Amino acid sequence: MKNLKFLLLALPFFFTSCEKDKIEGPSLNNLYGELTILESLNVVGDSADFSNGESMYFTASFSKQVNWKIKIEGSSGSVKIISGKSNEINQANSLWNGNSTQLPFFIEEDCDVVLTFEMHDDTIYNQLNIQSPKLYNDENTVLITDFENGFNPNFTGFFQAGCTKALTIGGAGQGIKFLQQFGTCDWDWLIGYVDYFSSWWYDDRENLINDPSKLYFNIMIKGDSTISTVTNLPNSLFKLEFYEDENGDDYHDANSEDRFDYEFDVNWTGWRMVSICYNDLIPPSSNSGNGIKEPNKIFKVRTLLLANPESGFAKADVDFLIWSFGSPILN
Amino acid sequence: MLFPILAQSQVKSKLWYDGNSRVMYNRDALEGTLKETDTVSTRSNGGGFTILDLGFHFTPVDDIEIFSEVRLKNDFGGMWGNKSFVELRRLSAKGIVNNKIAFSVGDIYLKQTKFTLYNYEQELSEYEPSVFKFYRDFVNYENYYQSNYWRLQGVQTNFSYNMYNFIEQLDFDGFTARIRGLEWLGKPELLMIGGSAIIKLSNKINLGSHYVNTFEILSSSNGTGAYYNPVLNTQLSYSGSLKDIPYKMLLEGGFSKRGWDGDSLAPEIKGYFTKATIKAKGKKSEVNLGFRYVDTDFRSIGAQTRRIDYNTATTTYPYYSNNYTQRKVSLLDIMSDPNVYNQNLSTSLMNYNPMYSSVSPYGDATPNRIGLTAEIDNLNLTDFLSAKVQTQYFSEIIGQGTTNKRSFYKSALHSLLSLDKLLSLNNSFNLEGSINLETVKRDGEDFEKIDFSSILYSGSISYELIKNLKIIAGAKVFYAEGNEFIAERDMYDQINDYSNNTYDSKETILIGGIQHHFTDDIYFTMQYNQFNVLDKTNTYDEFSMGRLIFMFNMNL
Repeated sequence: MKNLKFLLLALPFFFTSCEKDKIEGPSLNNLYGELTILESLNVVGDSADFSNGESMYFTASFSKQVNWKIKIEGSSGSVKIISGKSNEINQANSLWNGNSTQLPFFIEEDCDVVLTFEMHDDTIYNQLNIQSPKLYNDENTVLITDFENGFNPNFTGFFQAGCTKALTIGGAGQGIKFLQQFGTCDWDWLIGYVDYFSSWWYDDRENLINDPSKLYFNIMIKGDSTISTVTNLPNSLFKLEFYEDENGDDYHDANSEDRFDYEFDVNWTGWRMVSICYNDLIPPSSNSGNGIKEPNKIFKVRTLLLANPESGFAKADVDFLIWSFGSPILN
Repeated sequence: MLFPILAQSQVKSKLWYDGNSRVMYNRDALEGTLKETDTVSTRSNGGGFTILDLGFHFTPVDDIEIFSEVRLKNDFGGMWGNKSFVELRRLSAKGIVNNKIAFSVGDIYLKQTKFTLYNYEQELSEYEPSVFKFYRDFVNYENYYQSNYWRLQGVQTNFSYNMYNFIEQLDFDGFTARIRGLEWLGKPELLMIGGSAIIKLSNKINLGSHYVNTFEILSSSNGTGAYYNPVLNTQLSYSGSLKDIPYKMLLEGGFSKRGWDGDSLAPEIKGYFTKATIKAKGKKSEVNLGFRYVDTDFRSIGAQTRRIDYNTATTTYPYYSNNYTQRKVSLLDIMSDPNVYNQNLSTSLMNYNPMYSSVSPYGDATPNRIGLTAEIDNLNLTDFLSAKVQTQYFSEIIGQGTTNKRSFYKSALHSLLSLDKLLSLNNSFNLEGSINLETVKRDGEDFEKIDFSSILYSGSISYELIKNLKIIAGAKVFYAEGNEFIAERDMYDQINDYSNNTYDSKETILIGGIQHHFTDDIYFTMQYNQFNVLDKTNTYDEFSMGRLIFMFNMNL
């Protein structure tokens, strides 16, 4: 019985040796602790040749988990943002293949690198050099045009009298050339349109992947956020129309073949990449085709600049029209 | 053990009655600077009611008793039936099958162990002077709190066997209760089943095992996850005597599991606990020493559900000041407002306010605690001075958000000075005083340090003017100072953030009046109360209120 009494008293104290060394809940240090830079920002792989598939990454380490942001800004105006939440920046969370977050694309240039932190004032600066910029036109893309070889005269179209469609050098979203489109038309919504026939940018349409959920149409558009004098809203309206040739006769018959549309306001200033999944296109109410999205039967892409005739000037320049497979071009 | 505390009855007639009657009227009025600065709230408001809870006990046969309690309520200010209510407050039946198996159905009161099913007292009620007791009785009665039982609805049964070999007696209890009913497009039904088996090995040794499982019925909703929380508790007790001092040792331990079936995001956590106590009864006092370990992941819906729900709005001046600020639940509401209390078991850890309870907000079942307790009760220093004292020291088992652990210290003292005995007076003349102290500390970097303390001074005096008529006065002064982190939890009770709260608060409660007892259970009291809540951090405006209150209470 004595042993039993001893056992009764002693047994609980064995649990004191069962202490755990982990913590419960998120770390207070990460939430409220001071941020100390343990290892400053380094660029690994500086002067990379992105056109050759090379990449670079960054390294740094901190005393706590923190939301960090690396901003790479070239003299071209291109910007790449890399962000994350960790106590270490390394190859896994900062690998950069030369793409851009904000257009235009990077060129051969020197870039400023700035590392900032959410909720902390610390800022770290560095620099890097791009020996050769990333090439976006690869096996996963089909380029419609980047205007670098001029404007293909087979891309027909129509612009209202007094409205402008002009190939321009300098200030492009990609390369050095782009297509300016602007004007005022007080009798019609249409400022102008251009038809990009597939026969001139893709000679084997059968090879364009036929999964509309994985095919993206990408176009650079430069807006100027001109505000309508009537509606007080951005004035420029942009419309994309995709015409299919379902019977393969090199002709789109509006009475029997599909057309799919996508339109949006150009309510920004400067270049922006607009990427649309083919699956997200909407047929017009009068669509006469089979209603099936078949991108490998694309006949032409029409880009239209529209504006309320009562509201005045509209402008939307375009550059670098390209199809991408699997994801938007900037992903 | 499970004991339904249906009203005790001796079958003498087919129908007999009991119940409770209460008449209450109070008028609250703003006081202090608030009376001048608050031009939005009413200067005063009042209300009252008459309640008759009439219990009918019907015994159709000797072994069956059917009990129903009907509440008749008439709010003051109504006429001709307006603001009058009749409601069924309780309905149950109990009986015995073949003089061997007892059962209860309907509204039943259930309690097991402090880790499986137990309704812990509200904060700061321990060692409360007796002049404040009428408020607590009122709050507890209105919320069906009887001792530490939870009122549930279901079926309960118990029976025992006497044996004559190495086991003397076996006691069994079992129950099932419906915690939450069907909800339209809501959560599934929540059921609780439980049972106890107690083996009496001898007059000195008992071995008991208690089990409670609370679970949702997935098919009763359109949801995809079903909660479950089984808890097992095993107890071994030994009674003995050392130098003519009787003592009892109790060792208990157990574990819990909590998760959601069918919910891939929900973690399943397992926790365990152990507790050891030794209790000795001397000539002048009772001493109780204990050790407790409760794992961080220990979860028990039946033992960790709290009485006070800090998310509810207060009855008295729920909003005040010209900013129309919502008034937080404070000591005055804890003491006197039955509407801030909770009557339902909660599947997640309920919020608590560290100002009023930081050491053991979930009673003995508070997770993440290891420590020692000591208590001396019924300490009769002289024939006119008695006292009771307790002290507790705990530490976290693992730190919250840091490897540094909180340390908790709690102590309480209560003393009763019978001046009538000291001064040889014929009329009762008692002086009571108590102190409740809690501190929380955590070392470390500045961003993780905790240094918090709260202290409640309570005192009362009651003097019997004439037979059974007492003049009473009491005071409570509460201070809370320092900082403490409150963990914010997600829907699965996992901590996802913390808020570091700074406290510098003083609350005062003063009462004075008369109290007349016709019997112990039949009395009336008329008092003036004054309440003041001062937040020195200036987060909230000072709140001052006076209250004139009359209460007549009669237990039939």
